[in-house]
Amino acid sequence: MEAAVKAIAAPRRRQILTLVREDELSAGEIAAHFDVTRPAVSQHLNVLKEAGLVSERRNGTRRLYRARPEGLAELKEFLEEFWDERLSALKREAEKEERKRGDDD
Amino acid sequence: METTTETMVERELEIAASPETVWEFLVDPVKVARWFGKQAWLEPRPGGQYRVDVIGGHIAAGEFVELDPPRRLVHTFGWEPEGGQENPVPPGASRIEIELEPSGEGTTLKFRHTGLPDAEAAGSHAHGWDHYLARLVVAGGGGDPGEDRGPEGM
Repeated sequence: MEAAVKAIAAPRRRQILTLVREDELSAGEIAAHFDVTRPAVSQHLNVLKEAGLVSERRNGTRRLYRARPEGLAELKEFLEEFWDERLSALKREAEKEERKRGDDD
Repeated sequence: METTTETMVERELEIAASPETVWEFLVDPVKVARWFGKQAWLEPRPGGQYRVDVIGGHIAAGEFVELDPPRRLVHTFGWEPEGGQENPVPPGASRIEIELEPSGEGTTLKFRHTGLPDAEAAGSHAHGWDHYLARLVVAGGGGDPGEDRGPEGM
Protein backbone atom coordinates (compact mmCIF):
# COMPACT_ATOMS: atom_id res chain seq x y z
CA MET A 1 0.00 0.00 0.00
CA GLU A 2 2.77 2.40 0.90
CA ALA A 3 4.55 1.60 -2.37
CA ALA A 4 1.42 2.63 -4.27
CA VAL A 5 1.13 5.88 -2.37
CA LYS A 6 4.76 6.72 -3.04
CA ALA A 7 4.28 5.75 -6.67
CA ILE A 8 1.43 8.19 -7.22
CA ALA A 9 3.07 10.95 -5.20
CA ALA A 10 5.20 11.86 -8.23
CA PRO A 11 3.27 14.00 -10.73
CA ARG A 12 5.11 12.44 -13.68
CA ARG A 13 3.99 8.97 -12.65
CA ARG A 14 0.40 10.16 -12.36
CA GLN A 15 0.71 11.51 -15.90
CA ILE A 16 2.01 8.16 -17.09
CA LEU A 17 -0.85 6.39 -15.36
CA THR A 18 -3.37 8.63 -17.06
CA LEU A 19 -1.70 7.95 -20.40
CA VAL A 20 -1.93 4.16 -20.07
CA ARG A 21 -5.38 4.22 -18.56
CA GLU A 22 -7.04 3.31 -21.85
CA ASP A 23 -4.17 2.57 -24.20
CA GLU A 24 -1.54 -0.09 -23.87
CA LEU A 25 1.74 1.64 -24.72
CA SER A 26 5.45 0.90 -24.90
CA ALA A 27 8.03 2.85 -22.89
CA GLY A 28 9.09 4.61 -26.07
CA GLU A 29 5.57 5.69 -26.90
CA ILE A 30 5.14 6.96 -23.37
CA ALA A 31 8.45 8.84 -23.51
CA ALA A 32 7.33 10.58 -26.72
CA HIS A 33 4.59 12.32 -24.74
CA PHE A 34 6.97 13.92 -22.31
CA ASP A 35 10.17 15.88 -22.28
CA VAL A 36 12.04 13.09 -20.51
CA THR A 37 14.46 10.37 -21.49
CA ARG A 38 13.34 6.85 -22.13
CA PRO A 39 15.42 5.45 -19.25
CA ALA A 40 13.65 7.89 -16.94
CA VAL A 41 10.29 6.63 -18.20
CA SER A 42 11.41 3.02 -17.73
CA GLN A 43 12.35 3.81 -14.16
CA HIS A 44 8.93 5.33 -13.50
CA LEU A 45 7.29 2.29 -15.08
CA ASN A 46 9.25 0.00 -12.78
CA VAL A 47 8.05 1.89 -9.71
CA LEU A 48 4.45 1.73 -10.97
CA LYS A 49 4.78 -1.96 -11.80
CA GLU A 50 6.19 -2.84 -8.39
CA ALA A 51 3.36 -0.92 -6.76
CA GLY A 52 0.84 -2.97 -8.73
CA LEU A 53 -0.46 0.07 -10.58
CA VAL A 54 0.52 -0.99 -14.10
CA SER A 55 0.80 -4.38 -15.78
CA GLU A 56 3.45 -5.31 -18.32
CA ARG A 57 2.86 -7.55 -21.35
CA ARG A 58 5.36 -8.81 -23.88
CA ASN A 59 4.37 -8.60 -27.50
CA GLY A 60 7.23 -9.97 -29.57
CA THR A 61 10.19 -7.78 -28.70
CA ARG A 62 8.01 -5.01 -27.31
CA ARG A 63 6.88 -4.58 -23.74
CA LEU A 64 3.54 -2.90 -23.39
CA TYR A 65 2.18 -1.21 -20.32
CA ARG A 66 -1.34 -0.68 -19.14
CA ALA A 67 -2.86 0.70 -15.95
CA ARG A 68 -4.33 -1.67 -13.38
CA PRO A 69 -7.38 0.12 -11.96
CA GLU A 70 -7.79 -2.52 -9.28
CA GLY A 71 -4.38 -1.50 -7.94
CA LEU A 72 -5.77 1.93 -7.25
CA ALA A 73 -9.10 0.74 -5.96
CA GLU A 74 -7.25 -0.89 -3.09
CA LEU A 75 -6.00 2.48 -2.10
CA LYS A 76 -9.43 3.72 -1.14
CA GLU A 77 -8.82 1.75 2.02
CA PHE A 78 -5.73 3.79 2.53
CA LEU A 79 -7.74 7.01 2.69
CA GLU A 80 -10.03 5.41 5.24
CA GLU A 81 -7.09 4.29 7.33
CA PHE A 82 -5.64 7.79 7.22
CA TRP A 83 -8.79 9.23 8.78
CA ASP A 84 -9.36 6.31 11.14
CA GLU A 85 -5.94 6.89 12.64
CA ARG A 86 -6.40 10.63 12.85
CA LEU A 87 -9.87 10.36 14.38
CA SER A 88 -8.84 7.77 16.94
CA ALA A 89 -6.00 10.10 17.95
CA LEU A 90 -8.54 12.92 18.31
CA LYS A 91 -10.71 10.73 20.52
CA ARG A 92 -7.75 9.69 22.65
CA GLU A 93 -6.46 13.22 23.13
CA ALA A 94 -9.86 14.76 23.84
CA GLU A 95 -10.63 12.07 26.41
CA LYS A 96 -7.24 12.56 28.04
CA GLU A 97 -7.94 16.29 28.27
CA GLU A 98 -11.37 15.66 29.75
CA ARG A 99 -9.96 13.33 32.40
CA LYS A 100 -7.30 15.89 33.27
CA ARG A 101 -9.98 18.51 33.80
CA GLY A 102 -12.00 16.09 35.92
CA ASP A 103 -8.96 15.59 38.14
CA ASP A 104 -8.45 19.31 38.53
CA ASP A 105 -11.99 19.85 39.88
CA MET B 1 -27.01 21.73 -11.91
CA GLU B 2 -26.68 18.59 -9.91
CA THR B 3 -23.49 18.23 -7.99
CA THR B 4 -21.74 14.90 -8.14
CA THR B 5 -19.79 15.45 -4.97
CA GLU B 6 -18.96 12.09 -3.55
CA THR B 7 -18.48 11.11 0.03
CA MET B 8 -15.05 9.60 0.30
CA VAL B 9 -14.98 8.81 3.98
CA GLU B 10 -17.76 8.92 6.54
CA ARG B 11 -17.25 8.05 10.18
CA GLU B 12 -19.11 8.34 13.45
CA LEU B 13 -17.46 7.94 16.82
CA GLU B 14 -18.28 8.33 20.49
CA ILE B 15 -15.89 10.43 22.53
CA ALA B 16 -15.93 10.49 26.33
CA ALA B 17 -15.48 14.24 26.49
CA SER B 18 -17.88 17.16 26.27
CA PRO B 19 -18.57 18.81 22.90
CA GLU B 20 -16.83 21.92 24.29
CA THR B 21 -13.64 19.95 24.94
CA VAL B 22 -13.77 18.23 21.54
CA TRP B 23 -14.36 21.58 19.85
CA GLU B 24 -11.11 22.92 21.27
CA PHE B 25 -9.34 20.07 19.49
CA LEU B 26 -10.71 21.40 16.19
CA VAL B 27 -9.82 25.07 16.51
CA ASP B 28 -6.94 25.43 18.99
CA PRO B 29 -3.63 25.03 17.12
CA VAL B 30 -1.83 23.40 20.05
CA LYS B 31 -4.62 20.86 20.49
CA VAL B 32 -5.00 20.26 16.73
CA ALA B 33 -1.31 19.38 16.62
CA ARG B 34 -1.92 16.71 19.27
CA TRP B 35 -3.98 14.59 16.86
CA PHE B 36 -3.47 15.81 13.34
CA GLY B 37 0.14 16.75 12.85
CA LYS B 38 3.32 18.20 14.16
CA GLN B 39 2.32 21.83 14.06
CA ALA B 40 -0.78 23.81 13.14
CA TRP B 41 -1.52 27.39 12.17
CA LEU B 42 -5.21 28.28 12.29
CA GLU B 43 -7.46 31.28 11.83
CA PRO B 44 -10.71 29.74 13.08
CA ARG B 45 -13.26 32.11 11.54
CA PRO B 46 -15.26 31.86 8.31
CA GLY B 47 -12.86 32.62 5.49
CA GLY B 48 -9.85 32.11 7.76
CA GLN B 49 -6.97 29.95 6.57
CA TYR B 50 -5.31 27.00 8.22
CA ARG B 51 -2.14 25.00 7.61
CA VAL B 52 -1.08 21.82 9.35
CA ASP B 53 2.34 20.24 9.04
CA VAL B 54 1.02 16.70 9.00
CA ILE B 55 4.18 14.66 8.58
CA GLY B 56 7.64 15.73 7.58
CA GLY B 57 6.76 18.87 5.70
CA HIS B 58 3.60 17.61 4.00
CA ILE B 59 1.32 20.56 4.55
CA ALA B 60 -2.45 20.12 4.63
CA ALA B 61 -4.19 23.42 4.08
CA GLY B 62 -7.54 24.99 3.44
CA GLU B 63 -10.08 27.52 4.58
CA PHE B 64 -12.64 27.55 7.36
CA VAL B 65 -16.11 27.75 5.86
CA GLU B 66 -18.50 27.39 8.76
CA LEU B 67 -18.00 27.46 12.53
CA ASP B 68 -20.84 26.89 14.95
CA PRO B 69 -19.17 26.11 18.28
CA PRO B 70 -19.43 23.52 19.69
CA ARG B 71 -21.69 21.91 17.10
CA ARG B 72 -20.52 22.13 13.54
CA LEU B 73 -17.31 22.85 11.65
CA VAL B 74 -16.80 22.91 7.89
CA HIS B 75 -13.48 23.51 6.21
CA THR B 76 -11.88 22.81 2.87
CA PHE B 77 -8.98 20.41 2.63
CA GLY B 78 -6.06 19.82 0.31
CA TRP B 79 -2.29 19.71 0.10
CA GLU B 80 0.18 22.50 -0.59
CA PRO B 81 2.62 22.16 -3.50
CA GLU B 82 5.84 20.33 -2.71
CA GLY B 83 9.18 20.76 -4.39
CA GLY B 84 7.62 23.19 -6.84
CA GLN B 85 5.06 20.57 -7.91
CA GLU B 86 1.39 21.37 -7.67
CA ASN B 87 -0.57 18.68 -5.83
CA PRO B 88 -3.60 17.47 -7.81
CA VAL B 89 -5.62 18.09 -4.68
CA PRO B 90 -4.60 21.65 -3.87
CA PRO B 91 -5.87 23.48 -0.79
CA GLY B 92 -9.59 23.98 -1.24
CA ALA B 93 -10.15 20.94 -3.43
CA SER B 94 -12.16 18.86 -0.98
CA ARG B 95 -14.35 19.48 2.01
CA ILE B 96 -14.52 18.23 5.58
CA GLU B 97 -17.61 18.49 7.76
CA ILE B 98 -17.54 17.66 11.45
CA GLU B 99 -20.64 17.63 13.63
CA LEU B 100 -20.67 17.28 17.40
CA GLU B 101 -23.74 16.17 19.30
CA PRO B 102 -24.02 15.77 23.07
CA SER B 103 -24.43 12.11 23.95
CA GLY B 104 -24.84 11.35 27.64
CA GLU B 105 -21.69 12.66 29.29
CA GLY B 106 -19.84 12.64 26.03
CA THR B 107 -20.04 13.55 22.37
CA THR B 108 -21.00 11.86 19.14
CA LEU B 109 -18.67 13.07 16.40
CA LYS B 110 -19.80 12.75 12.79
CA PHE B 111 -17.09 13.14 10.20
CA ARG B 112 -17.48 13.45 6.43
CA HIS B 113 -14.79 14.02 3.85
CA THR B 114 -16.38 14.87 0.52
CA GLY B 115 -15.62 16.70 -2.63
CA LEU B 116 -12.99 16.74 -5.28
CA PRO B 117 -14.42 19.14 -7.83
CA ASP B 118 -11.29 18.51 -9.89
CA ALA B 119 -12.49 15.03 -10.76
CA GLU B 120 -15.69 16.49 -12.19
CA ALA B 121 -13.84 19.14 -14.15
CA ALA B 122 -11.66 16.43 -15.65
CA GLY B 123 -14.54 15.38 -17.86
CA SER B 124 -16.62 12.27 -18.13
CA HIS B 125 -14.21 9.91 -19.89
CA ALA B 126 -11.55 10.61 -17.34
CA HIS B 127 -13.96 10.50 -14.47
CA GLY B 128 -13.40 7.13 -12.85
CA TRP B 129 -9.68 6.99 -13.10
CA ASP B 130 -8.78 10.57 -12.31
CA HIS B 131 -11.23 10.52 -9.50
CA TYR B 132 -9.45 7.59 -7.92
CA LEU B 133 -6.11 9.24 -8.39
CA ALA B 134 -7.29 12.46 -6.91
CA ARG B 135 -8.86 10.98 -3.86
CA LEU B 136 -5.81 8.95 -3.14
CA VAL B 137 -3.62 11.91 -3.26
CA VAL B 138 -5.92 13.56 -0.74
CA ALA B 139 -4.84 10.90 1.67
CA GLY B 140 -1.31 10.35 0.50
CA GLY B 141 -0.24 13.90 -0.07
CA GLY B 142 2.99 12.23 -1.01
CA GLY B 143 3.45 11.39 2.63
CA ASP B 144 3.22 8.52 5.00
CA PRO B 145 0.02 8.92 6.98
CA GLY B 146 0.62 5.55 8.60
CA GLU B 147 2.93 7.03 11.16
CA ASP B 148 1.56 7.12 14.66
CA ARG B 149 3.40 9.34 17.05
CA GLY B 150 2.23 7.42 20.07
CA PRO B 151 -0.25 8.17 22.81
CA GLU B 152 1.62 11.20 24.14
CA GLY B 153 1.66 12.81 20.76
CA MET B 154 4.22 15.45 21.64
